[in-house]
Amino acid sequence: MAVGIEALQTLEAPPWLGAGGLTRCRQALGGKLVRETWKYSPLPKVTNALLAADEHQGPPVGALPPGVALHRFDELDVPPTLGIDLNRYPLAGIAAARAGAGWLIDVKRTPSHPLRIPAPALGVSAPLLVRVAASCRVDIEQETVQTTDNADFGAQILVLSLAADSEAHWAAAEFAPTADKWCLLQAHLQRNAALTLNHQGTVSNFLRQDVNIVLGGQGARLASVGAALVQDGGRLDQQLVIEHASGGTVSRIKQHNLAAGRSRCTFNGRIHIHAGASGADADLSNRNLALDPSAEVNTKPELEIYNDDVRCAHGATVGQLDAEALFYLQSRGLGPQQAQRLLSLGFLRDGLAGPYAERAAEAFAAHFTSA
Amino acid sequence: MSLLEVDGLYASVNGEPILKDLSLRVEAGEIHAIMGPNGSGKSTLANVLAGRPGYEVTAGQVSFNDTALVDVAPEARAQAGLFLAFQYPVEIPGVSNMEFLKAAWDSHLAAQGAQPESAVGFMKRARALATSLGLNPEFLKRGVNEGFSGGEKKRNEILQLLLLEPKLAVLDETDSGLDIDALQTVAAGVNRFRSADNGVLLITHYQRLLNHIVPDRVHVLNEGCIVASGDKHLAEKLEAEGYAWLSG
Repeated sequence: MAVGIEALQTLEAPPWLGAGGLTRCRQALGGKLVRETWKYSPLPKVTNALLAADEHQGPPVGALPPGVALHRFDELDVPPTLGIDLNRYPLAGIAAARAGAGWLIDVKRTPSHPLRIPAPALGVSAPLLVRVAASCRVDIEQETVQTTDNADFGAQILVLSLAADSEAHWAAAEFAPTADKWCLLQAHLQRNAALTLNHQGTVSNFLRQDVNIVLGGQGARLASVGAALVQDGGRLDQQLVIEHASGGTVSRIKQHNLAAGRSRCTFNGRIHIHAGASGADADLSNRNLALDPSAEVNTKPELEIYNDDVRCAHGATVGQLDAEALFYLQSRGLGPQQAQRLLSLGFLRDGLAGPYAERAAEAFAAHFTSA
Repeated sequence: MSLLEVDGLYASVNGEPILKDLSLRVEAGEIHAIMGPNGSGKSTLANVLAGRPGYEVTAGQVSFNDTALVDVAPEARAQAGLFLAFQYPVEIPGVSNMEFLKAAWDSHLAAQGAQPESAVGFMKRARALATSLGLNPEFLKRGVNEGFSGGEKKRNEILQLLLLEPKLAVLDETDSGLDIDALQTVAAGVNRFRSADNGVLLITHYQRLLNHIVPDRVHVLNEGCIVASGDKHLAEKLEAEGYAWLSG
């Protein structure tokens, strides 16, 4: 592949990658697993952008509430392990090698207010690990911030580690940033831990989201609701891998994406039920609207099940607006364009939740007002 | 001039002829009941009147308030005062009932060249009407018909009827799936709507709704055309004898 291999060879691996970590990343870049998941996005271009982008090493967050501490990995006696599968996510190793060891936010007590962590739109950010202690709860709000730099690419790694009986709510939003972006969200949940994810916004750039959630402990739960309006030739590529590694784990995924104009949405959601995950309960739904004939939607829900005692449902739809609903609105006096606008908005708003829902709804409405 | 005039109407759905030489007149101030067995064309008539895509008029005339309807878009029919209460109201998640109702009402006002009603005034009116129909006003914040029971959906149709103040209401089996309480509430809404200036075309299978809404005329539809007309006693005959006598 046409990646700057020479540049890769000059990188120094951070300790958490382990011996030979970067070598594995280099090999994985050419492997089948990575090729499959990058079928609809330009891996060489993104890798080269990752190698060329500026790096951000500064602290990812300002003042923290009591009970929450920020550490650099290299200041810790025992550097934490991120648990990222480099065979699947080799870009994570490269990004970490570019941007430095990483940062740890240690949540040892439930904070009184959400942690607001800006997500720079540009440059390669050092990996951020948020570690939530047992029985604590944390809300994390992360909005991609567009800067005025000339750079045109951003990369970010966020790892959530939830101890037993802890809870985390990660809400993220993008409002039409112009820079291309690759990001990885990795989460490990222990016994009875609960994670809620909300990602929403408008996409007019290239946005690749890799998400790997490991429901590692008995009874761990994931609920994810998201919506994206892809516009102005934007490219959204979402790759989710949800692993039910223990019994009684529950996952609920609902993602609504709308492709307008000459834009493209790709969604690949894989539910992996491990052999020991008796009683696992998974439900994945991805609905897509292609608003214009030139819009493109690719969706692939997958189930990989190694246990008979499970309940799994998955579904994906790609379509136009519902003719019955259109007629219903028209029969009440709304013209076809107004009815289409309302239905499109409704489709997207049905995938909104969390603290950014209202702003996302406004951004969606603005698109249809100006369209 | 009649409120609704249907003369020699033929209509097809997916190329299949359903309505065959159907004629009907509804005057302002009248309630007409259309009854008939399954497949007789009752819902087809309702959908043809509302302009549903796929329902093709192949011959005949339909005029509403002295205006030919056949080539008029559904939204223009609605703005002119024709309302169809759906047999199966559609669920639209993500679009709140209130937002939808306000948009619909604004479209009616705009068609009349009037200014939009203030949001506050409209919301107050909508909430009061919802309460009077036994609908919790919180339903107005939810997605259109989203998660509503069958009865709640039908009450929501009546709420729209009362808010939009049409000249002609076509109720397509609004009584289907209703329990006794909901039936009475829906009937009360229709009676409240009834006035000397508007008309109602009530499509139903059963006489029970007509215990609460007394029709001026009852028509029996069979195989796409009206085969009998009479006063409310015709409905009682149908209730007692069924539809078998139509083929006898």
